[in-house]
Amino acid sequence: MTGGIAPPIEIESVGGGLAFEVNQRSGALPMSCYQCAKCSSGCPVADGSDLKPHQLVRLVQTDQREAVLSSRIIWVCTSCQTCTTRCPQQVDLAGMIDALRGMSLGAGSVPSGIAVPVFNEIFLEAVRERGRIFELALMAKYKLRTKRLFEDAGKAPAMLWKGKLPLSAKRVGGKEEREALFGRAAEGGAQ
Amino acid sequence: MSYTFFPGCSLDGAAKDYHRSTLAVAAKLGLEIPELKDWICCGSTAAHSSDPLLADALPAKSLSAAGGSTVAVACAACYSRLKTANHHIAGDAGLRARVARVVGRDYDGRTPVLHLLEILCRDIGLARVGAAVCRPLSGLKVACYYGCLLVRPAEITNFDDPENPTLMDQLIEAAGATPLAWPHKTECCGASFSITDSSVVIELGNRILAMAQAAGADCIATACPLCQLNLDLRQRDMERKFGCQYNLPVFYFTQLLGLAMGCRPDELSLDSLIVESKALLDAKGIGR
Repeated sequence: MTGGIAPPIEIESVGGGLAFEVNQRSGALPMSCYQCAKCSSGCPVADGSDLKPHQLVRLVQTDQREAVLSSRIIWVCTSCQTCTTRCPQQVDLAGMIDALRGMSLGAGSVPSGIAVPVFNEIFLEAVRERGRIFELALMAKYKLRTKRLFEDAGKAPAMLWKGKLPLSAKRVGGKEEREALFGRAAEGGAQ
Repeated sequence: MSYTFFPGCSLDGAAKDYHRSTLAVAAKLGLEIPELKDWICCGSTAAHSSDPLLADALPAKSLSAAGGSTVAVACAACYSRLKTANHHIAGDAGLRARVARVVGRDYDGRTPVLHLLEILCRDIGLARVGAAVCRPLSGLKVACYYGCLLVRPAEITNFDDPENPTLMDQLIEAAGATPLAWPHKTECCGASFSITDSSVVIELGNRILAMAQAAGADCIATACPLCQLNLDLRQRDMERKFGCQYNLPVFYFTQLLGLAMGCRPDELSLDSLIVESKALLDAKGIGR
C-alpha cells in the first residue's frame, strides 16, 4: 500500500465457516467478541458446565466445529438472556446458542444424557396436535419417551391435590391449518 | 385503550391460580380483558431452540388476530416470545414475507404487547390501583422476583431497567406492603429445566430463596408461572439439599394485590400454593 490509510477491516467477513454459518442462521455476530468474559461472569450455569460462554464464542471464532456442536453448554443454557443483555459488543449469545442447538441436533452431536431435544420435540408435537399445551399429557409422554418414569413422581400428587395439574384441557380448532403451518415452516417459508 | 388477553397454556394448567387472581384484580379495577379467541401456544423455548421461523410464526398467528387491541399477557415466557416475534417481523421485510407464507396471512409485527405489570403500573396507574386498596398489606415484607424474560433483552421487551426493575415493587407498595431492595430480582430460576434436569432448578432456585431470606423477606412475589412453580414446588427439595429452612410462600403478585383489594382467598386460589401462606397472613392480620 502506498500512503493513505488502510480501509477498516470488516470484522464479520473474517472468521471460519462456523462463525459465518452461525451468523447466517441467527444474525448473531460472534466475530465481534473480544473475550472480556462479562457473559461468563453473569451466566447462571457457567460453573457447572464444560465451557463458559466466552470460551464457546472463542471456539466458534476459531472454527472448532466438533468441539462446539458436541459441547454441553449449548444444552445446559437456560436461555436467560443475561449474556446477550450485558455484552458490550452486542453479541447475541443466546441467539447464537439457539442456532448451535439446531446444528448440533442436525449433526447428531448432542451429548449423552441431554433430554432437552426430546422434550422440545414432544412439546412441539403437542402444539401441532392440540394448539395448546396440556401439561399432564405432555409430562406423561415425556416420561414414557425418556423412560424417566419415576423421576419427580412424588410431585404429581401434590400438584393434583393443589389443583395445579388439571386432568383435562381445552383444544383449539384448526388442526389441519396448524399441520399446514408446521409443514410450511419446515420448508423455510419458501414460495 | 382496549385489551385482549393472551393467557397462555400455563394459565389454564399449573398457573390456574395466576389466571383466577388476574381476573379478580381486573374486576376490582374495572379493567376489561376479554380472552383472545382461538389463541395458540407461543411455542416457548421448544420453538426458539428448534426452529427460528416457527418461533416467529406461532406468535404471529395469534397476534394477527388481535384486531387492533393491545394484547395483555400474564406469563413472562409468552410475553418474551410475542415481543421477540414482533421485533423480528417488524424489522425484517424478508422475514415478514416468509412468516406470511407460513401463517397464511400477512402480519406487520405491530400489534402492541404489554405485560399485566405494565398495564397496571402505567396504563391504569398507581393512583387508581391505590384507590382500590381497602385492606393494605401493612408490615408484609415482599421480595419482588421478576426472573429473566420480562426484562431481557431490554431492547426487545422494553419493559423496565433490566438490572433493577421496579414495576412490581411499585404495585406491591401501592398495596400497602414493603417491597425489599435485594440483588436477585432478575436472576434465573432454571426455567424449563424443571422438567429436563431438576438439579439445575434446585441449585439456581436455592440461590434466589437464600438471598430473599437474607434480605428479610416474609414472602416472594412473582409474575411468571415457571418462576412461581420452581420456587414453590421445589422449595422443600432445596431446603433438604442445602440443609436450610425457608418457608417462604411464593405468591403471584396478583394474589397479593387481590388480598389488598378485598378479594376472598378462594377468589385468588391461595390454597393452591404448595408452601402454605395462611400462617404468615394470619400473623400479619391479612386476608382471612
